[in-house]
Amino acid sequence: MNENRNETRIKTAQIKNLTKIYGNKGFQTKVLKGIDLTVYKGDFIAVMGPSGSGKTTLLNILATIDKPTQGTVILDGQDITKASNKELSRLRRDKIGFVFQDYNLLDTMTLQDNMGLPLSLSGVPGRECIHRVNKMAAMFGLTEHLQKYPYQLSGGQKQRGATGRALITEPEIIFADEPTGALDSRSGRELLECLRMVNDSGQATILMVTHDPFCASYAKDVCMLRDGLITCRVSRGRERKEFYDRIMDLQASVGGDLTWE
Amino acid sequence: MGMMKLALTNFRNGYKNYLSLMISLAFTVLVLFNFQNILYSDAFETLGTRNKEYVDMLVQIISFVLGCFMFFFIWYSTNVFLTRRKKEIGIYVFMGLSNDRIGRMYLIESALTGLSALVLGLGLGVLSGGLFQMILLAVSDITVEIRFCPSVEPVIITAGVYLVIYLFFAAKGYVSIVKSSVLNMISAARQKEYVRQKLWVLAVKAAAGGAVLGAGYFLAIKPAHGGDAMANSLGAVILVTAGVYLLFGGFIPLLVQAAAGNKIFLYKKQRTLWINSMIFRMKKNYRTYAMVCVLMLCSVTALATGFAMKGRYDTIIRFENTYTFQLLSRYGDLGEQAEAVVGRDSPITARSFVPILCLDSSMVNSEYYSSRYAIMPFSRLRQLAGAMNLDMDFEEPKDHETVRISHPLLMSLITDRSHVTVEIGGKEYSQILDTSVPYLGYLQESISFYLVNDREYERLRPMGEEWYTYNYKMGEPERFAETRERLDLWVSTLEEGSTARVAIDPESNELDWVKVLYSICIFMFLVFVLASGSIMYMKLYNDAFEEKARYQVILKMGFDREVLHRSIRAELAAAYGLPFAVMGISSFFSVKALGNMMFADLSWVNGVSAAVVFVILLFWYELSVRAYGRNAGL
Repeated sequence: MNENRNETRIKTAQIKNLTKIYGNKGFQTKVLKGIDLTVYKGDFIAVMGPSGSGKTTLLNILATIDKPTQGTVILDGQDITKASNKELSRLRRDKIGFVFQDYNLLDTMTLQDNMGLPLSLSGVPGRECIHRVNKMAAMFGLTEHLQKYPYQLSGGQKQRGATGRALITEPEIIFADEPTGALDSRSGRELLECLRMVNDSGQATILMVTHDPFCASYAKDVCMLRDGLITCRVSRGRERKEFYDRIMDLQASVGGDLTWE
Repeated sequence: MGMMKLALTNFRNGYKNYLSLMISLAFTVLVLFNFQNILYSDAFETLGTRNKEYVDMLVQIISFVLGCFMFFFIWYSTNVFLTRRKKEIGIYVFMGLSNDRIGRMYLIESALTGLSALVLGLGLGVLSGGLFQMILLAVSDITVEIRFCPSVEPVIITAGVYLVIYLFFAAKGYVSIVKSSVLNMISAARQKEYVRQKLWVLAVKAAAGGAVLGAGYFLAIKPAHGGDAMANSLGAVILVTAGVYLLFGGFIPLLVQAAAGNKIFLYKKQRTLWINSMIFRMKKNYRTYAMVCVLMLCSVTALATGFAMKGRYDTIIRFENTYTFQLLSRYGDLGEQAEAVVGRDSPITARSFVPILCLDSSMVNSEYYSSRYAIMPFSRLRQLAGAMNLDMDFEEPKDHETVRISHPLLMSLITDRSHVTVEIGGKEYSQILDTSVPYLGYLQESISFYLVNDREYERLRPMGEEWYTYNYKMGEPERFAETRERLDLWVSTLEEGSTARVAIDPESNELDWVKVLYSICIFMFLVFVLASGSIMYMKLYNDAFEEKARYQVILKMGFDREVLHRSIRAELAAAYGLPFAVMGISSFFSVKALGNMMFADLSWVNGVSAAVVFVILLFWYELSVRAYGRNAGL
């Protein structure tokens, strides 16, 4: 039934047999061992895994920052493994949004300018930039903080600002790398609520990498990654709490003896 | 590991960090040494005692200026260096070292850097000393044989001055480290210069800057006499320097903050990146911009002085060589005899004859004191000008008017030449013009001439004694000595005290020191412009490291390097352009003041000097863009 549901949905990203090997002949480490994953429009997927499972490598390849050894990644109908640097830049700029663990807001500019940066550098007219920044700030509860510099903001406000910046170009997909990693639990929760809200309202397709089951419980689907392979995938039911418990169980069964960080 | 060993290891491993500081310091040592070397060199002795004395005096003044320059340069570069090193050496706090021991380690490292720079600077100085003098003399168009014989005195003086200044700032760094908190030390490398300064503070600073700068400009070009002119010049230098600092501390931040406030403007091209980046660092960088601006102003003024000196020198030489021999006699009928004597060895290419009315100095009351005064009639001067093919572009003076016929001065502190009056024989004349056209050549240097109309001349005639001038220019200057000897012999046959002779040796090198001054000015120009470029380069070189992480974020967001390169170009263009623009405006006034003192219109010199500075800055700019991109990881 799930397959039928997917057939009618639009594919945002399609990963086939994704393999990544580091090192030279004789000293090779196979980090990803042939991953298959399809992300549909409106998905909110959390990829979980213990240390060394290949989460960051997977995200870096999807985010076009790294190249795979084998396999294909189709993003917006284009195989990014074969795209030129210029095409990759365009993809990153127009189709992908990033949320980093350490916010990566530029400390030289106000939150308003930070959020408007991707638009202004893309040549979007000033008025349109301002309009979209205001809209995004309202969505993330940051309107009164727009004139502040990052050093004047709390971690949660910074991360919400960074998420707003990632969404402002209306990308096909958002890649979030441990977005709550540097936040206290309250700020982390607020951010996750925001992410769920934008996802539920159909404004963002999200692929999030995390080691935190609580964080993952805000996603619609969770993929467990271990030793370079997706070992299982679970979907959320109605209750987030119940989903969280399932993830915890899964985590224990997949790799209770491993370090999850 | 001992303190010394640790410092040595740091020095060896981080020599790249030290290299830019060492080269900058060695440069100041090299410059000071080369000037000191002139004092103890025999190259200028061949120009004669007077020239040597003048050159030595100039070199002493320039050495003082260079000493001040060295002071500020060392201050600046050690400060930049200390800030960069503080974080690194602050790590040692966690290894259990006390601030005092870290400070001592910094002292050892500083001593190693300073001494290496001294050895490098002096070594290059000793090697290039002869070459420098050769270039200086070649630019001055003076032919002297230079011998390679370095003396000990300039080495000792240069090393002494340098070490006193350097050790002072090394000790200051030591104290700063000892007094620093750990937190302060480890975060020193990226002190948060946040960011938007209070608008009213900026507005007050900007208004004060405008007022102070305006007052400085006004003083610079305000006509004045003697001591007042000197005080005005000094006041102008102080006010313009203070005004530039206030301008960069107030007006420029206000301007860029206003630009950042206008989002429609800001969100175009890459402005949001580089304007915000400028604002972010403005509080830290404005002093550098101001210093660079003042240095550029010094360099343009130095070059303009050089050009003006050259022009003045050529004018004076042309003026003095209008005639080779001049006779001043009571007799009005010596023409034929004198011409026969002068023209015997060499053809006479130009001649003139004019009577003058010599007055006792008590008969004339003028602001230019002279021991000899003489009056000339308009019609006779017109005849002379016609015969000598000299300009005479003024009308016949009215009865109460006079024209002063003077000589070109190298420089004058009397810049107010309006409403000048002179009292001759109890009557006040209004001086309508002061001309240095060489109607009577060298005689104009020893006698103060006033031109009146023929009626006034006749009226004044009974008050003085009429003398006659006979003026000749020789066609073959090499026969000068023989002709002078013959002329002296003939003059000695005339009644004693009735005839005086003036002989101007065309080969004389009496004014060669002016040519040396001209070359020194050009050299100073190079020193200042290189210093301003290198200070800006050093600043931007260091700033670029801070951008690395920011640029990585933007690259991750999918913007290509070209976007960042364009942003760097725009930011650095503003960093070089703003001081240059303020310098451009200020130099108009400084060069105008110089022109007033040197009786010359130096606007073209101003333009050329500013253009030369622009070209050199363009070179520094390109260099900085490359270094910035490299250090920012692009």
